[in-house]
Amino acid sequence: MSLLQAHNLGVTYPGQASPALQHVSLQLGEGDLVVALGPSGCGKSTLLGVLAGFIAPSEGSVSFDGQPVVAPGVERAVVFQHDALLPWLNVADNVAFGLKLQGVDKARRQQVVADTLQLVGLADVGRKYTWQLSGGMRQRVGIARAIASQSKILLMDEPFGALDAFTREQMQQLLLSVWQHAGRGIFLITHDIEEALFLATELVLMSPGPGRIVQRLRPGFSQRYRDGEDVRAIKSDPAFIALREQLLRSLFAQRQAEAA
Amino acid sequence: MSANEHILTRVPDTLPASQRARRPLSPTQWSLISIGSITLLWWAITASSLVPALFLPPPGDVLAKFGTLVSSGYMDATLQQHLWASLQRIVLALLAAVAVGIPLGIAIGTYPRVRHLLDPLIEFYRPLPPLAYLPLIVIWFGIGELSKVLLIFLAILAPVLIATAHGVGSVSLVRQQAALSLGASRGQLLRYVILPGALPDILTGIRIGLGAGWSTLVAAELIAATRGLGFMIQSAAQFLVTDVVVLGIIVIALVAFALELGLRRLQRRLTPWHGQTH
Repeated sequence: MSLLQAHNLGVTYPGQASPALQHVSLQLGEGDLVVALGPSGCGKSTLLGVLAGFIAPSEGSVSFDGQPVVAPGVERAVVFQHDALLPWLNVADNVAFGLKLQGVDKARRQQVVADTLQLVGLADVGRKYTWQLSGGMRQRVGIARAIASQSKILLMDEPFGALDAFTREQMQQLLLSVWQHAGRGIFLITHDIEEALFLATELVLMSPGPGRIVQRLRPGFSQRYRDGEDVRAIKSDPAFIALREQLLRSLFAQRQAEAA
Repeated sequence: MSANEHILTRVPDTLPASQRARRPLSPTQWSLISIGSITLLWWAITASSLVPALFLPPPGDVLAKFGTLVSSGYMDATLQQHLWASLQRIVLALLAAVAVGIPLGIAIGTYPRVRHLLDPLIEFYRPLPPLAYLPLIVIWFGIGELSKVLLIFLAILAPVLIATAHGVGSVSLVRQQAALSLGASRGQLLRYVILPGALPDILTGIRIGLGAGWSTLVAAELIAATRGLGFMIQSAAQFLVTDVVVLGIIVIALVAFALELGLRRLQRRLTPWHGQTH
């Protein structure tokens, strides 16, 4: 059953001729991990903004659990690339922030925070401040914060875009194990083809001018990871590489068509 | 071709003697050097009788005057009483400026309409020298404490307002959006995200404002004062009691510097994240 439904979305920013987003529809269910992949300017950030309720669509509509989405809401937690944590709170208080806003009592908050930090592998840094952590650890805190809140789905805005390649791969695996344990639907945007292929249950390829979906596929590699297969084995699988090349070609073809 | 040819630089096994003995000076030591040099220069000029004591009293005389002022006072009040009178005015004005400036600054930083409305007023009075509108304040509010505090208040208000508005306006949008998606109401957003985010700027505004407040003190105490460091300096100037003038200047500088150091420490304690790279 799909929780989040976007129907025929269109966004045109004031003063811009070409729509940032056009005719975009998608659905996100409880166990889904939908990844929007595309180059800069393809409208993926706009799409995430609309799903989060930060941007009002010019056309179409978004609904969550049958209710129209018109504003940010606690059931749709957003994880950003960086700078979204609160530096004046320590890690535990950052993770507890969403629950505190909802008025959840302290004992319950502490329990959830301990469980969530354990889940993202940060059990022993709860008292540190976010600016004392590495980039990868800060992103774990961001993910923990979104999970600890009473969210039903996570919207992730290039969450690993600022990390080095090594940390990024670790974080991808962490995300899959968190996704498995927490059982939330995830919508993630990225410009990293490997990341999209590895994570997605459904991958939507987007293209700019106007921002739209040009291809949808179901790679299924994340399921293989969940079934216990090694990450390097998956990423070096000929099927994986073939899909990667096909996507890359399709992206280049789009770009050339545009330039012509 | 020797094997070491590709090594561009080598660390010498021993440092040259000139570098070995020298230890870098601490910031405080550098500051002490400048203070010491100025005092020495001051002493040298007065000791050589180049300048009459009427124009520049020797450091020793000023120090002696300090003792006299503390025990028997000047113009019917001891130095402590003058200092206390001035401090009361400054602190009262500061509290009022914070109480008015922070909420108003938040409103300016949050609502463009409020900014457009108030911006011309603030920019109108901000560059005016306090002495220029002093007569108006006296005509409107009389010669009591209110006028004195009001003048200092106006000097502190502008920096606090502007810094708060700037701080509120520059709180990361992503942080605010993240908080909204975690279910924050507008009030919670202000309390838990915007205000703490603006705090480093607000504290900087208060520091700058306090400096402006001190520099308005003498003008404020032109208004029929009988006590206060500014009043003390002015009366001493009228009778050419130069050592009291110099002493008053030094006391103001020291007290203002002590407050500034206290605020800097407070800023480091309250906002340890400020200036950390993310």
